[in-house]
Amino acid sequence: MTVRMGFVIITSRCIDCDACMVACRAENEVPIGFTRNWVRDSGAVGKFPIVKQMFEPGNCMHCEKPSCLSVCPTGATYKRADGIVLVDDTKCIGCKYCIEACPYDARFLNPVTGKADKCTFCLQRLEQGLKPACVQTCLGKARHSGDLNDPESVVSKLLNRYPARQLSPDAGTRPNIYYIDVPVAEIPSGT
Amino acid sequence: MHTEVTWGLLIVVYLFTAGVSAGAMVASNAAFLLGGDRYERVARWGAYLAPFPIAFGTGVLLLDLGSPLNFFRLFMTLQYKSPMSWGSWAILLFTLLSLVYLYLWLPPRYQIGHVIKRVRVWQGGLAKGMPILAVSVASYTGVLLNAADRPLWQIALLPELFLVSAMSTGVAAVGVAVALSRRWRANHEEKRSLALVDIVLVGIELLIFGAMMIDSQIGTLNQQLAYAVLWTGSYAATFWIMIMLLGLVVPLILKIVEVRGRLSWKWTERVGLGSSLLVLVGGFFVRYVITYAGQMTGWLR
Amino acid sequence: MPKIYTWDQLFSRRQFIKGGLAAAAFGAAAGSGLLQPKPGLGDAQSTVTSTLSGTKYVYTICEQCVWRCGVIARVENGVVRKLEGNPDHPNNAGKLCPRGNAGIETLYSPSRVKFPLIRAGARGSGLWRRASWDEALTYTAGQMKKIKDKYGAKAMIFNSTDNLSQPFFETLLKAYGTPNYGTQRSLCFNSMTTGFLYTYGVAQPGTDYANCNYMIFSGRNLAEGISNIETQEMIDMVARGAKVVVLDPRFTKTAAKAEWLPIRPGTDLAFFLALINVLVNEKLYDVKFVSQYTQGFDELTKEVATYTPQWAEVQTEIPAGTIRRIAREFAASAPAAIAHPNWRTSNFLNSFQAERAIAVLNALVGNWAKPGGLIPDQSINTAKLGTLSHPSYPAAVGMRLDGVPWQFPMVPLAYGVLQVMRDNILTGKPYQAKGWLISRQNPVLSIPERQKTINAIMKLDFIGVIDIMANDTAYYADVILPESSYLERYDGLVPIGDEIFIRQPVIKPLYDTKSSLMIYKELAVKLGLGDFLPYQDEKDLLVQQLKPYTVSLEELERKGHYRVPNFKEDHSKDFAFQTSSGKIEIASGIMAQMGKKAVPTWEAPPKPGPDQFYLLTGKTAQHSQMFTQDNRWLLEIFPENKAWLHTTVARKLGVKTDDEVIIESEVGKIRIKAYVTEGIRPDSVFMVGGFGHVSKGLHFAYGRGASDSALHKSLADPISGSSALSQTFVRVSKA
Repeated sequence: MTVRMGFVIITSRCIDCDACMVACRAENEVPIGFTRNWVRDSGAVGKFPIVKQMFEPGNCMHCEKPSCLSVCPTGATYKRADGIVLVDDTKCIGCKYCIEACPYDARFLNPVTGKADKCTFCLQRLEQGLKPACVQTCLGKARHSGDLNDPESVVSKLLNRYPARQLSPDAGTRPNIYYIDVPVAEIPSGT
Repeated sequence: MHTEVTWGLLIVVYLFTAGVSAGAMVASNAAFLLGGDRYERVARWGAYLAPFPIAFGTGVLLLDLGSPLNFFRLFMTLQYKSPMSWGSWAILLFTLLSLVYLYLWLPPRYQIGHVIKRVRVWQGGLAKGMPILAVSVASYTGVLLNAADRPLWQIALLPELFLVSAMSTGVAAVGVAVALSRRWRANHEEKRSLALVDIVLVGIELLIFGAMMIDSQIGTLNQQLAYAVLWTGSYAATFWIMIMLLGLVVPLILKIVEVRGRLSWKWTERVGLGSSLLVLVGGFFVRYVITYAGQMTGWLR
Repeated sequence: MPKIYTWDQLFSRRQFIKGGLAAAAFGAAAGSGLLQPKPGLGDAQSTVTSTLSGTKYVYTICEQCVWRCGVIARVENGVVRKLEGNPDHPNNAGKLCPRGNAGIETLYSPSRVKFPLIRAGARGSGLWRRASWDEALTYTAGQMKKIKDKYGAKAMIFNSTDNLSQPFFETLLKAYGTPNYGTQRSLCFNSMTTGFLYTYGVAQPGTDYANCNYMIFSGRNLAEGISNIETQEMIDMVARGAKVVVLDPRFTKTAAKAEWLPIRPGTDLAFFLALINVLVNEKLYDVKFVSQYTQGFDELTKEVATYTPQWAEVQTEIPAGTIRRIAREFAASAPAAIAHPNWRTSNFLNSFQAERAIAVLNALVGNWAKPGGLIPDQSINTAKLGTLSHPSYPAAVGMRLDGVPWQFPMVPLAYGVLQVMRDNILTGKPYQAKGWLISRQNPVLSIPERQKTINAIMKLDFIGVIDIMANDTAYYADVILPESSYLERYDGLVPIGDEIFIRQPVIKPLYDTKSSLMIYKELAVKLGLGDFLPYQDEKDLLVQQLKPYTVSLEELERKGHYRVPNFKEDHSKDFAFQTSSGKIEIASGIMAQMGKKAVPTWEAPPKPGPDQFYLLTGKTAQHSQMFTQDNRWLLEIFPENKAWLHTTVARKLGVKTDDEVIIESEVGKIRIKAYVTEGIRPDSVFMVGGFGHVSKGLHFAYGRGASDSALHKSLADPISGSSALSQTFVRVSKA
């Protein structure tokens, strides 16, 4: 079976501390003013005193059908065999078409490199057998990553046990981040 | 994540100028093929105009690139799924051929060797071929946005809207040129025909917007929200005033007044010129509003 | 004539490069990602150094707040690239919070003070000249000596906030001989520590989150006031379905994970008294535990008789039914149920009583030293470090300026009352203070009534500041002694349980800075007090601290921690309560002695007048109070504080989110952006503390947000000395 790298994010375990954003900035030297990942905060929803609040972390969804890839005029954006979507800087002309095309606003033009920039799944860390920086540092164990096709991975086990959703299915890109909103008492062990 | 617009005025200029060039080219081709000598001035001015707006727009586009020196990468590949890849090739070809076409329309003293003998034949050949390229370039600007996954840009008829808008601005641009030119000033029939064509195109544009309004009532929630940005949202004022009123309805009325021929010669001249300029302004704002408002719309989560 | 620098020149990019510090330029480049290509990465966690690739991994301890998480720093060719949590460290189990992750930016910040500075214009004028260390230390010691000779040691105040080298600062001040020492405690948790001290004889018992099934927080916001492992444990607790109740007038991110009770500010005491009332009336308490380990229950029964849930509903605006339900649920979960001791419960003058009520509530359900309950003092079960022998301290002659104990007889000597100390610099009573040496503290922004603190500074003959950046107090200082950042220096060792951890330099200092250990030492030498800090350098000190153990400093540096073999935990003293009765004192002996009511009792808090609001203050997960605002990476995720206004209030004022409002208290006035939300009581305004800096040396923080200490009234609880930060009422208007 082919490898399909993706994320599972447990929103009920996120406290919006944004450690993932700082860890990513450090690991990937993301310039000030831009970020490769985020935590969206619903704010207090409802009427005082009956309110609730949800936090939703995210980053590039490494979609099955990435719209960023199909619009790229030079073939700079490509999808690896393991599903990770990357930008080849030597080919990128910085036309920003992919930035417009991404339904998740996951990309930006890096002013230092002049290239489209986004989450690389921390490829440099994966190659050493490490988890992405955002996953590694997550205080709430809300962020998880791995091979969605491998039944022994944490992400597969989580998806087997809990209901999950994807963002903006209408956009039709088949994103590879799955969100679990219910409480997850214990994180299964796995790759 | 980004908050400001990613594609700004430079892109709007690019989309607009590509349309003007394509429209001017088609106007020239049609005048030459259908009107012959009677429409010689229209054909000539169309040919003279066509290469420049698009060349300027492409230059502006270069400024907008993050890595302008990497521009050549566009022409080392053809990405069959990417409208921009197709569009870049189309624009390159269009610009080169429109320069050739322009050359053929230069006064005889500029024609070298035996070109002069075959000028007519070549003009005819190009005039038959260029409309295909021109229509590609004009629709491309719409398809470009269409392919980026934003609700407003995915609405039906966007490429058609851009195509018709491109033709009307191109015709208007030629109209302005032939009205101001001393040496190749248009005759009454030419002006009247140009005005009639513009009436038809502007009318079609209004119909397209009408269709969109109907669509906005029956589309998905995503699309309804996207349309709302145009009709009632933050771009509503610009849309209704700059596009609907000044860009379409007013020039339509003026053109009709012009065509009915009840005005004095002097006023016909003024009304014709003024309405053409308004069509150009309206065409610019079509690109501006769609480009900017589109970036405000996103998918429901 | 030495060159005079203005603040702007000192910290401008040009000066930065001109300083001739290659490392500085290197650091700046690292920040903007210009150093390419990256060298190859070594094996992550198994080796300390892989010299082949130029990459090394160094164990150290974080100092982006005071929690002391274990860190592994990845250093590539002398540049710190990444900080990651040490999985073997009990304080963080491999994770770092946003602040910890942003340590690199603290290290490479252009706002660092890069060499000693001596003031070259009027105080606060922003004119400085560069000084050598010898000159700066000689100057500082000279001023301190002059004050001692002329006015006595007591005229000199020493201030510091919790840090690893604090014990050595305390040695310096004791050797100098002043009774005046200011810590942050009275601004933070005096009411909690005294409340628990007078009940259990333990100032700060731990909480067993891992086994707890019912937790009531009333002043501890773990999602936004992150204490790394505790925050992790709180999240796990919520995830496994344990009940968490949050009493807070504001909907915090902790409340978002819990049952939120938007209690009226200042009435947490009433809520807890009513819980006690229900427990007593419905016999839901642990009868055996109460009779065996506590005293004063009968007196309590009488006192709480009138504190019914109906009564508390009027005070707290929490329905009586809810209060009764929570009391029953709490008792049903006991002993795996905790009313958390918190840090700053309600922050009113009655907070001491609230903390006493909380302490007593815990005692009633008998959760002491039980799984899921309160954990007794752990210091007895912590590895002991080798100590340094030094001459005996001179007697500290004179009354303390902070009023302990002559004005605050019940405040433990070690805690102090910082805000009163500041006030007494201004009043000159009981004598005039003349000098202030401040290490790693920022009184200008932390003590209520900022303007008073600035006025107090202006009255002094001498003020010296030790810090890594030009904080707001340093802005008014006569001399700034620049400390190396935590990634460039050693500090005293940290024992946690049976393990000893080390902070060590990850890279050499980028600038002409020193560790505070050496600043204190060299200052002591210049003062003729060198014998009190008997170490040659940091390594010498650490070797002496390691003397009881077989491990070498080199090994400790390599592994980051050392586990003491055959360490036995001692729980024989768990129930030996260090109180006057030897029992858990529901009726406090000390309170009785002082002629006060011995059991927790109701003290009505003041209410705001018409058109006034409660002013609430609190933490955010992205900053450590006023300590990290200049960190650009943290400003990216939390750029400024805003005033939380309830939707109805905002509508009445005609204000939307990000519109500016004026907030005015009796003592000050600020202008701040509004944040309109349903997540706050309509009678309250909230702002995160720490913004609104006055120092232009804090390049990126200067001009952002507004300071809560500009609004806070200076209050001190006569029992605990605690500052009642929320007992300030404000008016709000559209700017």
